[in-house]
Amino acid sequence: MDRVYDHLVTLLGDKFEVPADRIAPDATLGDLELDSLAVVELYVTLQEQWKIPLDDSAATADLTVEDVARTVTELLGAQAPGRGTA
Amino acid sequence: MGEEIAVTGIGLVTPGGIGAEQTWETVCAGRSTAHTDPALRDAPVDLSCRVPPLESGRGRLWRFDRSTRFLLIAAREALASAQLNPADWDCGRVAVVIGTAAGGIGTLETQHHKLLATGPTALSPMTLPAFLPNMAAGHLALELGVTGPSLQTSTACASGATALITAAFLLRAGACDIAVAGGTDAMVTPLCAAAFAKMGALSTRCDAPARASRPFDKDRDGFVLGEGCGLLVLERRQHADARAARVLAVLAGHGTTSDAHHPTAPHPTGAGLRSATSMALTGAGADPTDVDHVNAHGTSTPLNDAAEAAAIRDLYAPRHPTVTSAKGVLGHTMGAAGAIEAALTAMSIARRTVPPTANFTTADDSTTGIDIVHGTSRPQPIRLALSHSLGFGGHNTVLAFTSA
Repeated sequence: MDRVYDHLVTLLGDKFEVPADRIAPDATLGDLELDSLAVVELYVTLQEQWKIPLDDSAATADLTVEDVARTVTELLGAQAPGRGTA
Repeated sequence: MGEEIAVTGIGLVTPGGIGAEQTWETVCAGRSTAHTDPALRDAPVDLSCRVPPLESGRGRLWRFDRSTRFLLIAAREALASAQLNPADWDCGRVAVVIGTAAGGIGTLETQHHKLLATGPTALSPMTLPAFLPNMAAGHLALELGVTGPSLQTSTACASGATALITAAFLLRAGACDIAVAGGTDAMVTPLCAAAFAKMGALSTRCDAPARASRPFDKDRDGFVLGEGCGLLVLERRQHADARAARVLAVLAGHGTTSDAHHPTAPHPTGAGLRSATSMALTGAGADPTDVDHVNAHGTSTPLNDAAEAAAIRDLYAPRHPTVTSAKGVLGHTMGAAGAIEAALTAMSIARRTVPPTANFTTADDSTTGIDIVHGTSRPQPIRLALSHSLGFGGHNTVLAFTSA
């Protein structure tokens, strides 16, 4: 979870230019000013980077950063070891 | 033609540099930017003229195709050059008119690969907004907060010039007071390189990239694929004067015609180009004897340069204007070319300097007698200069610029 959360913070900062001091586990994607397209792009990017079947139809601005990190972590745990490549 | 249209700002992102000044210096040095391109390693011809590395990809850039990134950078320079601040202008009185030949073709290719390799779940939600041909203008209007007309033109390699003409029409019709207009394209992609190679349009001088693009030269064998963006800020002269803007040049006339001859080859006598030139000169209240300089389309393909040279030779004889083509340095920047070359033409007038045609060393029958500037830049006072653009589909556009 920590590894995924840290990666998410980096991604949000680098690609979506969210200031690091605004990112917190309980901050929603909407709080971080990610619009509907950006939320889907976040999911598509995570899906590609971690090679996981992340369902972007469930991506909404109401999700918190922690929610997203937990979902990714659960999907990674369901896969064979070593497939997370971010 | 009606009220004068003033050029009050210029922004360039080209293989010659990011910024008008860098581009001008590279073009005046006659320094080719063509290189072997690793991204085209599987293409039949792997040469390109690339824009230098852009600033970091942080922020909203993930949303945009490469061609739109060029546009946003060029717009910043053009507005600074015109001393315009979007925070101050009446956003409903500003137009955005952008030409492109291929829209976001790079995005389309990338996303199509993802679709084939991984399936629809891999697609970016920005696939359509990044590649649709109208979206460069749409994104720029959004970024600048412009609520006036926002249009896209597509006349292949004349697109940028067509955008400038369209902007002039909008200004004269009173639809806006300021127009940010030009062209952008990023067509250095495997698909485009292979497609142009299939047509025999590209230079195959892959062992000597710097000498590959050689407009009007006897040994020309095709163009080098380029990319970039050119933007001008246009205003009615009265509007520019009212805000004490610096006028860099005047768009005094313009003409646009169709060849109705062949899908890709220009009319061999340059008939359509000559008609467009006549329209531009009429608009400028001038005749061929008034033309001091021509910034030619000059792609370095055997057919284009012969047809264009025929039009120049016949129209201006015996008093020949100086002629140059930037494509020996920048390659062919596709839908951006007309706007980039319009900017260079305006700069030639303002700086009394004609850049050289890189790699032109030997005339052939079609170019004999034409004063093609080559070797080094030539100092020249210019009262009236033309910028030619020709595009697949038989599009011809000519822009006539005069000094301020």
